[in-house]
Amino acid sequence: MDNVSPIEKVLKLAALTLILIFFMFPIFWILLMSFQTNETILRIPPSIVFEPTLSNYEALIRGKLVSTAGTLDIAFMSNLLNSVILSTSSVILALLFGVPAAYAFARYKFKLGEFIAFTLLSFRFAPPLLVLLPLSLIFQKIGLADTYIGLVWVYQLIALPLILWIVRGYFEDISPDIEHAYRIAGHGWRKTFLKVAVPLAGPGIAAAGLLAFIFCWNNFVFALILASADKQPVTVGALAFVTASGIQYGQIAAAIVLSATPTLVIALYAQRYLVEGLSLGAVKG
Amino acid sequence: MSLSLRHISKSFGRATIFSDISLDVAEGETVVLFGPSGTGKTVLMRIIAGVEDADNGIIMIDNRDVTNSSPDNRGVGMAFQNFALFPHMSAYENVASALTAREGSATIIQERVNSIVKLLKIDHVMGHSPRELSNGQKQRTALARALVGAPRVLLLDDPLRNVDAKLRYEMRLELPNLLRRFGSAVLYVTQDYKEAMALGHRIAVLQGSRIIQAASPIDIYERPESLIVAKLFGDPTINVLPVMPRLHGDEVIIEIDGVSISIGQYYRDAVGIEASLALRPEHLVVCSTPGANSFPVEIVAETPLNEKTVLLTRTRSGTEVLVSMPAINEGTIPLGLGFVSFDPKSVLLFDRSTERRLRYFDR
Amino acid sequence: MDDEIVLSIDKVDKIYERRNLAPVHAVKNLSMQVKKGEIVALLGSSGCGKTSTLRMIAGFESLSNGSLILNGRRIDTLPPSARNVAMAFEGYSLYPPLTVRDNISFALKSLRLPVNKMAEKVSKVAEMIEIGSILDRYPSSISGGQQQRASLARALVRSADLYLLDEPMGQLEPQLRAVLRGRIKRLLNENRMTAIFVTHDQTEANALADRIAVMEDGMLQQFASQHELKEHPANLFVATFIGEPPMNVFDAMVQRHGTQIVFHIKNGPNITVASTEATKLVGAREFVTIGIRPHNVIVSSGSLKAKIISNQWLGDQSHLALSVAGKLLVAVSHHRVVAQVGNEIAYDLPNNCLHVFDNTNGAALIHGVEKS
Repeated sequence: MDNVSPIEKVLKLAALTLILIFFMFPIFWILLMSFQTNETILRIPPSIVFEPTLSNYEALIRGKLVSTAGTLDIAFMSNLLNSVILSTSSVILALLFGVPAAYAFARYKFKLGEFIAFTLLSFRFAPPLLVLLPLSLIFQKIGLADTYIGLVWVYQLIALPLILWIVRGYFEDISPDIEHAYRIAGHGWRKTFLKVAVPLAGPGIAAAGLLAFIFCWNNFVFALILASADKQPVTVGALAFVTASGIQYGQIAAAIVLSATPTLVIALYAQRYLVEGLSLGAVKG
Repeated sequence: MSLSLRHISKSFGRATIFSDISLDVAEGETVVLFGPSGTGKTVLMRIIAGVEDADNGIIMIDNRDVTNSSPDNRGVGMAFQNFALFPHMSAYENVASALTAREGSATIIQERVNSIVKLLKIDHVMGHSPRELSNGQKQRTALARALVGAPRVLLLDDPLRNVDAKLRYEMRLELPNLLRRFGSAVLYVTQDYKEAMALGHRIAVLQGSRIIQAASPIDIYERPESLIVAKLFGDPTINVLPVMPRLHGDEVIIEIDGVSISIGQYYRDAVGIEASLALRPEHLVVCSTPGANSFPVEIVAETPLNEKTVLLTRTRSGTEVLVSMPAINEGTIPLGLGFVSFDPKSVLLFDRSTERRLRYFDR
Repeated sequence: MDDEIVLSIDKVDKIYERRNLAPVHAVKNLSMQVKKGEIVALLGSSGCGKTSTLRMIAGFESLSNGSLILNGRRIDTLPPSARNVAMAFEGYSLYPPLTVRDNISFALKSLRLPVNKMAEKVSKVAEMIEIGSILDRYPSSISGGQQQRASLARALVRSADLYLLDEPMGQLEPQLRAVLRGRIKRLLNENRMTAIFVTHDQTEANALADRIAVMEDGMLQQFASQHELKEHPANLFVATFIGEPPMNVFDAMVQRHGTQIVFHIKNGPNITVASTEATKLVGAREFVTIGIRPHNVIVSSGSLKAKIISNQWLGDQSHLALSVAGKLLVAVSHHRVVAQVGNEIAYDLPNNCLHVFDNTNGAALIHGVEKS
């Protein structure tokens, strides 16, 4: 089937280019904006050529925004730190609970197993707004409002179902004979889980963890309602750029670039590890 | 007894996999579990290893009841059909895994692993990962892992199935000597009757969820208890002709296409019963003239089968009878009308309805 | 079987390019001709190029070099549908929403036969292959073996110039395979169908094929009848590949004593041959490779002695392994050999059953040296 006509090739290329532009353009635009001052951004007609400036990044990092209305303190860096703390802790906790649970679902057939698993997944479908009001009242009562612990706990609603469902699939894909062989070789089920099942599901666990991290990082409503100023992650912190003296587009753009960078870097680094080792050839073939 | 199975039964939903399986394997003995394809034999292996539960029955290893013991406590070694090597460990670590649970000293582990991989001629690939090994090397690594712990009971689930023909034949020659060194009780699963006869001290034939005969290879081949067993062993498959033996004076007579043949004093119990006469192709001789124990056939075709020549003949009533002999030059035996004769002593008679073999000699 | 050539494969190569890795030369300079009504087997172990060859003939792979000519037409540039070739795949590939009957008759639809003619053809093939009882079932509800047979029926019901079968009976149990082989052979012969099938199983190749093309590492090793392959293997590979148990092979030094030539097996016995023909064929070589088939080795009598490593009785034959020259010499006898493992036994290597090969390239030199 090597006979692809040149017309087909050109059409394919054109289609791919269009799709690329469609998806990449907004990102490209934001990147540009982050190096422009507000005046350059709002100029009509818009021009491609401009003088790049680092003033937006400077303002964010230094924590001070100098504008026509005066100096404003920006908490961006501490927001970034909050995002890191919340996302990382949530994912670690979700992995600690989710991976063994996924193993149980994959390997042990128990009554109501499917029912429980599906219920846990359904938490992903439920609109967060549904639970937010009651949750915030409860949190106030038990003193968890505006705490890292409270937020990490709520973030499990995002991370746990994801990890459970993705990792369960990876455990199911491991041939049971491999674990049987390890048991018969004299090792108990705990060691089998840690030394055989987990390493072999490694790529899946990493993928699930990464996905959970991204979803936690991007979460807006939970943090908005259940956290106040000093615990806010970058998603909420971005609201600060809507100031009395106008919307600081340049800084927003820079903030977006800076907040997207960690997840992007992790994804690029982990991608190699995720793809490798998916077909390990220890069974016949 | 190193391994004792008593009344093991297992069903999945409404399908009965097997019912009431009892079997003993002595120390140093190799018992072959032989039967058609399907999951029965592998399920039994898993039950003995402890990774699956039987519905009923007891498993004893070295006179210890292990029915409720976990797989890591049974003293069993197992080699799987699809190898089941640990992909993320080196071949060395795979083999060593059978020792690391109990043996503390790394030096002793290394010694024992090295000695067995040398025996199996895979010492030079120990540093590789399973992915880098050929099927033959994977199979021997799996075997090494099963053997290195010197288990009391060794379960080999069709280990030669996924290995190429040449290597399979080589292993078939070397395996008995290898197993003899370790002295474990070995339960070996295969669907190849030649492999079963070559490797087993005894063969247990599994058919329709039960063991229908457990005996030495020679007994299975020469004294099969049922027609099914007779058909499963032998290449080409045994010939079966319907007959109704009668008594003539002191002798038992059968009739094939109107020709009466005496089978002497054997199978007197068959007289008056609707029976099936089973003749092994290698016990038949083709000749151009009739004789004492021969019936007329038309010789239809001649085909080579490995180192034998097989003649396809047809009786007057249309039944196909295969005759085999050591390879001869093509065309030596002319096609067309001829006679097939046999030695009455080699005949097998089965009850046509129960398919059980009738009593051979009454004395 | 005519002498008319149906398919001509001329100097065909297939090279698979791979990103970041060396290319794979799967088929190397293959040339073969298949006659009308002939059944040809492509036999070899996995990776030898047989499946690539079949796929190129069908049109699912392009040729890197060479040409394919079917009944006088050049087909390697044509798409599969235009080649008038029928194929039965290893992976069954039945259309799930159609019944077995519809699957099989699908191939005939383009012929626009009257309905009853089509039904007749379908039931005839179905009877042959023993799937008459499942004609109205769907592919998902029948077993793997039945799917394979349905796939076979679908290919065989068509009228094509050439039939290609890819491991047609790989999934079936031995007994069924033996029965089907006879039927398929009869069907192909009665209708003078030309067929090429791929297999790694010698017994299958021997039973079905008129001629067998043995392939290894992309190259055609020998293309001949099974009798030829067994009696006159062209090289060491064919000699050790064909035949079960495999041929015994030993390295030997050549010594000449007057009119006699002695093959001195390293660390083992000598075999003396006195034959001018043999002397000529061996030429000036100092080392050769000697082969002798297990069925030709004589045990229980003879001038040589060796220790028995294993003795297995398989119901109608004895397989013995003797320790000779540091390796195993396998002997097969149609008599029961009662001898203990570990004891010594007499044996002989008759010099008129020897195969001699060049020990650098494996080419055959002598087959069955004549005793003089």
